[in-house]
Amino acid sequence: MHTHASTALGHASAQRPRTGTPHAATGRFRQVKTALTVFLLGLFYIAPWVRWTRGGESSQAVMFDASAQRFYLFGLEFWPHDLPLLLGLLIFSAAALFFVTSLFGRVWCGFACPQTVWTDLFFAIDRRVDRMLGRDHPLGQWAKTGVHVVVAVFTGFTFAGFFTNIVELGPQFISGEASIVAYVTIGVLTFTTYTLAAHARENVCLHMCPWPRFQAALLDPESLVVTYQNWRGEPRARARVPLRPEIATLDSSAYIMPRVANPSVTGSNAATTYRGDCIDCGKCVSSCPTRIDIREGLQLGCIGCGLCIDACNTVMERIGRPHGLINMAPELSAVGGCAGKSGRIRLFRAKPMFFASIMMVTGSAMAWALATRSDVSAAVEHQRQPPFVKLSDGSIRNDYTLRFSRLGVHDSNVEIRVEGLDGAAIRLSNSAQASFTQGARRSFSDRVMVTVPKASVPKVRVPIAFVITDRETRAPVARLETYFWGPGGVR
Amino acid sequence: MASERRYDPVTGQYTTGHQWDGIEELSTPLPRWWVISLVVCFIIAIIYAFLYPAWPTTKTYYTGLLDWTSHKELAEYQTEARAGQAHWREQIAANTVGDIAASDDLRTFAVAGGKALFNENCAGCHGIGAGGQQGQFPSLIDDDWLWGGTLDDIYQTVTHGIRNTDESSRQSEMPSFKDMMSEEEIAATAKFVLAMSDASVPVETRNAMPGAELYSNNCAGCHGAEGEGMRMMGVPALADQIWLYGDTEEAIRNQIVRPKMGSMPAWGTRLGDDAVKMLAVYVHSLGGGEK
Repeated sequence: MHTHASTALGHASAQRPRTGTPHAATGRFRQVKTALTVFLLGLFYIAPWVRWTRGGESSQAVMFDASAQRFYLFGLEFWPHDLPLLLGLLIFSAAALFFVTSLFGRVWCGFACPQTVWTDLFFAIDRRVDRMLGRDHPLGQWAKTGVHVVVAVFTGFTFAGFFTNIVELGPQFISGEASIVAYVTIGVLTFTTYTLAAHARENVCLHMCPWPRFQAALLDPESLVVTYQNWRGEPRARARVPLRPEIATLDSSAYIMPRVANPSVTGSNAATTYRGDCIDCGKCVSSCPTRIDIREGLQLGCIGCGLCIDACNTVMERIGRPHGLINMAPELSAVGGCAGKSGRIRLFRAKPMFFASIMMVTGSAMAWALATRSDVSAAVEHQRQPPFVKLSDGSIRNDYTLRFSRLGVHDSNVEIRVEGLDGAAIRLSNSAQASFTQGARRSFSDRVMVTVPKASVPKVRVPIAFVITDRETRAPVARLETYFWGPGGVR
Repeated sequence: MASERRYDPVTGQYTTGHQWDGIEELSTPLPRWWVISLVVCFIIAIIYAFLYPAWPTTKTYYTGLLDWTSHKELAEYQTEARAGQAHWREQIAANTVGDIAASDDLRTFAVAGGKALFNENCAGCHGIGAGGQQGQFPSLIDDDWLWGGTLDDIYQTVTHGIRNTDESSRQSEMPSFKDMMSEEEIAATAKFVLAMSDASVPVETRNAMPGAELYSNNCAGCHGAEGEGMRMMGVPALADQIWLYGDTEEAIRNQIVRPKMGSMPAWGTRLGDDAVKMLAVYVHSLGGGEK
């Protein structure tokens, strides 16, 4: 629709550096954004304080226990060997992000990205301070900075609280008894929060973030993006210039140019006599968090938050015109074109459905993996120095190192059997039995000895398996395959 | 060539004042922050060279104002590590080997520490896995012990050693029968000894062998009538399947003529009592330990 491609970078550099906060907009998008911001910030700030009873002890519901290499999420407990689940989650998240973007544009950027959420919070602080002290109060900037720093410190503190007991961390932090790691974590997060949300703000989206760079690859002609309806708005002029007659009777739900309308919307003669709906008030620009001019079309700097839509709708109401001069619509609707044959947007399109299928596959794979996830981690290692021991009665013994750990809160009482070896006797280093009790959330490691009497000693190396069963439920817990070495060696 | 330094309005910079055929050079100094960083690096390097050992001299080296050495640092780490273990070490020192093995926590500590000590001090002869070495050093993981396999026996053996100058070391000696028996007699005895450990040879057949009487006259006093050995004296059992010095007739003949006997240093004075206790518990846990 535009002959020259407008980039946020070019746009931002052509403009004078901005100061202050964007104007507040009111409307549907602002309400959704506020609700999401409150929800997401609430989630972050409150989550570490939620308690959960785990193994009879009160503990934190969400906790990354780095030293013990455990991650707790309410009733779930994750060990390092569950890391593939994280991979699945990341693939799922990426596909979900692509899916949403291909349908609705950059709603992630506009509503849910931490940069957006915290920037929005800091904007709100700035506006509140301005309202309380007046715009030009000499202490205004000090007051803002003060609140910014407090919020930043609290953010860093909360972040650290996901990794340690936050209830104990508070007093420790204040009295100087917290660990160095805690102070460094809090310090780094305070610093990043303060610089990124109080100073860098939209510049992170414009200059630092890679995500806008490939949004074009994810959109298709029917994706809903924040669109200035060129056909309706142009030519721009003051409100007292009369309105173009063909748009005077417009339905507020229309985002597509009526078929009867004159296709040459910016006719050179029309500009002198009539105007479009845009009265060039500049509210869409002044309310924009990245301060772009959406009227130049879809561009890299647009984070899809829709605040310009709210601002514009407010103005439209005031001048008695229907909403939707700027709206969420397919990009081509702005110049009267639309990709859909019927002029309607199809939800089932190739690109979103491709991403949806990736979500389905990874999502169901993860759900299956989580549901059938083994709560046991067991490994057996043959002792090779020496590979076998000859005992005084001529029987042959092989030694193994067994490592066993089990998720959950109860002691495990298990028993080991050996399969595939006639007459084999099995015992642990410290007892004549082949059973042990492993304390909750502890790893068990011991030497396991398998002895075969002289008469049935295998000549060579033979495959065997250790079967670990629960002594109470008799249920098999793990099966570990290994070898038993006879005196003949491998062959 | 030299001309006035002048302001160049196009670039907004000054020239160096150099000029060649009308071509001038702009003065583009290094950024100030860069120069300052460089100077600061120099200053730090000089300070560092005074604080730490940096200069060799003909015989020794300049030790630096801080008197830092990597040896001292290592010693500090070791002191710290020992302090961290002190609680356990004290308990190891205060308890007998039996009590250590009976307590789960103490045993875990002793086995871990004993393994490290073993690999450092014992593995040279007995091997990393304590499997011994045929013909030289006995295996410690089988169920055959020359001097006994209870915790106390092992503790005693490790502390004082075998056939060394320690007053309490294990002592015994097998005489050479080279001058006491003829070659035929020695061969016959060896044949009989080999038959003792072979379950497929019936007792009657074995007792009818010419070596039977020779054995009971010369060997049974120490090795026992049934070849069961005598742990008091470190006398190996001959009726079992474990032959440290070989299970061929020739190997046994050699042993009768020129007996090999192992010796082992006393570790009590070298490693200290608590280390020996940990070693004993570790060795006892390897599969051959006796009650």
